[in-house]
Amino acid sequence: MSQIADPTVVPLRDPTILERLGNATVSLGRFLRGKPLGGSGLIVVVIFILVALLAPVIQRHDPDEIFEGANPDYKANPTVIELARNPDVGSPVIVNQFVEPSGGHWFGTDKFGRDIWSQVVHGARLSLIVGLGASVIAVVGGLIIGMISAYYAGLVDLLIQRLVDMLQAIPFLVLVLVFTQITERSVFNVVLWLGVAGLAITTRLIRSAVLGVRESEFVLAARVVGASDLRIMIRHVLPNVVAVLIIAFSIGIGAYILAEASISFLGAGPQGIPSWGQMVQAGRGSLDLHPWQTVFAGGAIMMLVLGFNLLGDALRDVLDPRLRGA
Amino acid sequence: MQAYIIRRIIGAVFVVFLVGTFSFFAIRVLPGDFATASLGLDAGSASAENIAQRKADLGLDLPIGEQYANWLWDTVRLDLGTSFLTQNSVWYEIGRSLPYSIELGVLIMIVGFTVAIPVGLISAIFQDKALDYSLRGLAILALAAPVFWTAAIASLVVLQWDLFLIDVIGQPHLWESPGKAITWYLIPMFAGGFAGTATTMRLLRSQMLEVLRQDYVRTARSKGLTETAVILRHALRNALLPVLTVMGVTIATIIGSQVILENMFNIPGIGNKVLTSLFARDNPVFQSVVLIIAVFTVLTNLVVDILYGVIDPRIRLS
Repeated sequence: MSQIADPTVVPLRDPTILERLGNATVSLGRFLRGKPLGGSGLIVVVIFILVALLAPVIQRHDPDEIFEGANPDYKANPTVIELARNPDVGSPVIVNQFVEPSGGHWFGTDKFGRDIWSQVVHGARLSLIVGLGASVIAVVGGLIIGMISAYYAGLVDLLIQRLVDMLQAIPFLVLVLVFTQITERSVFNVVLWLGVAGLAITTRLIRSAVLGVRESEFVLAARVVGASDLRIMIRHVLPNVVAVLIIAFSIGIGAYILAEASISFLGAGPQGIPSWGQMVQAGRGSLDLHPWQTVFAGGAIMMLVLGFNLLGDALRDVLDPRLRGA
Repeated sequence: MQAYIIRRIIGAVFVVFLVGTFSFFAIRVLPGDFATASLGLDAGSASAENIAQRKADLGLDLPIGEQYANWLWDTVRLDLGTSFLTQNSVWYEIGRSLPYSIELGVLIMIVGFTVAIPVGLISAIFQDKALDYSLRGLAILALAAPVFWTAAIASLVVLQWDLFLIDVIGQPHLWESPGKAITWYLIPMFAGGFAGTATTMRLLRSQMLEVLRQDYVRTARSKGLTETAVILRHALRNALLPVLTVMGVTIATIIGSQVILENMFNIPGIGNKVLTSLFARDNPVFQSVVLIIAVFTVLTNLVVDILYGVIDPRIRLS
C-alpha cells in the first residue's frame, strides 16, 4: 500500500534553538501573568543577582575603605583636661563614623567609617552563593539518598529514615552551628555544611515522590522487559520527580540564606567576606543612635528571602498543585 | 492501635538515642577541647603536662570508645555528669535554665496562636479580598524577616520612643515579678511569635478554604445556623486538626529562634546554654541540652501522631 501524504501531519523533528527560546519566552510570560506574586519574586531575585554580579561597578566605594575627615574639635596643643574630655582632640584627622545616609554615602557609614551601601552590595554575593549553593548540594544529595531509600526499601530505608528523623529532631540552627565549626569557616565549607544540614528535608521530600512513581505501571513494564535498577532509576523514575526536585530546590534557598545570616549574627559565620547577618550584629552596638547599618543589612536579607520565597511558592503551585500549602 | 503506639514509641526512643550519639561525637569532633581552652591559649601558661593533667581530670584522655560506653551507661541511669565550665551538676544547670526557656516558649506560642488563628480565619473568610491579600502579604514578610532583625527593630522602636525600660540584668521569672519579667520577655516573645505565626496562619487559611467547601458545612448553613456558628463550630474545628499535626515542626522552629533570642536578650535559658556549651566545648552540658531538646521535639511529634491516629484510623495503617 502506498503512503498517502497527509498535509495535517507535521513530521516529528527536534525544535531548533530559536524555537526553544521562543517557547521558553512564552512560558515565562505566561508564568509572569498567571502568578504576579511569583513574577515579582523573580524580579527581586534578578535584581539581587545583578547587584551581586555588578558589585565592583555599583559599589561607589571600596567596602573596606575607611573614610576620614577634618576633626572639627581639633586643637594643636590640647590641655590634659581637654584630652580627658575628648581623646581625639589632638588629631587633625578623624574617622567619619556614623555618617547619616546622604549623597556621598547612600546608606551612611558604620562605626569604623566604612560605606554601608558598599558593604550591603557586596553582602549580596555571599547570601546568593550560600542560598543557591547549599540548595544544590541538599537537592543532589537528597536525590541520591532519597532514591536509594525509596527504591531498596527494607532495612536500608528504615535506617535512612531514622537518620533523617535524628537530623530533624535537632533545631536546624544548632545543626548548622555544630557542622560549620568542624572545619575552617571558609565560604565553601559553610555552603557545604548548610547543604548537608538540609539533606533531611530534601531526602524526605524526594523519597516520598520516588515511592509514588515506583509502584506505577511504566516502572513495572520496564522491569518486565529486563531493565536494570540503575536504568529504571535514571530513565524512568528521575524524569518523573523533576518537578519535586525543582520545588525542593527553590523553597529551600530562603531558609539557607536565613541560616547563614543567623550564624553570622552569632559570630560563627564565614570569615573574610561582608555578610548581612554580621552587619546586623555590628550595628546593634549603637542601635539607639545610629541604626542604619542594622536596618539596611536586615532589610536586604528580608527582601532577598522574600523574593526567593515568592518565586518558590509560585513554582510549587505551577509544578505540583497538590503540594500547595505544604 | 496498641501495636501502632508501641511501634512509634520504639522508633522515638531509637531517634533520641541517635541524637545523643550524634551530639556526643559532634562535640568531640570539633577542633579544640575544654582542657586546652581553659588553660589559656598562650603556650607559656599551658604546658603539655598541664593540658594532659587537665584532660585526665575531665576524663577526656580515655579512648573514645570507653568515653562513649561511659556516657551511654550514665545517661541510661539519668546521670548527666558535671559541667566543665561551672562545676555544677548538669541537672542543676538544666533545672535553672529550663524554666526560662519554657516561659519564653509558651509566651511565643501564645502570641503565635492568638495571632495566627483569627488572622487565618479572617483571611479565609475574606478570600481574595483586599484584607486577605494584605494579611497574606504580612505573613509572607514575617516568614522572610530574620528573627534577630525583627527583634532588633522592635528594640529600636522601644528605645526611640522610650516606651518602657527593658530589664536585662535582674533576670526575673514571671511568677517572681511579673511586671519586670514581662518587659524583658515582650520583644523576644513578639519577634518569635511573629515568625512562628506565618506558617500556622497560611496552613489554617488553606485548610479553612477546603473545609468551607465541604458538604457538612453546606448542611450546617442550610439548617439555618448563624454564620458564626458554622465557621467556629463546624469549619474551624476540622481545619485546626492538620494545623496541630505540624506542632512538632512549629516547636522545632520556635526552639531554633529561641537560641538567637535568648542570646540577644541575655535570657539564661536552654537555647543560651546550647551556644555557651558549644563554644566552650563543655561536653556534658552540650550533650545533655541537645538531648533534652530532642526528647522534647520527638515527644511532641509522638503525642501528636498518636492523637491523630486515635482520631483518624487511616493514619495507623500507613
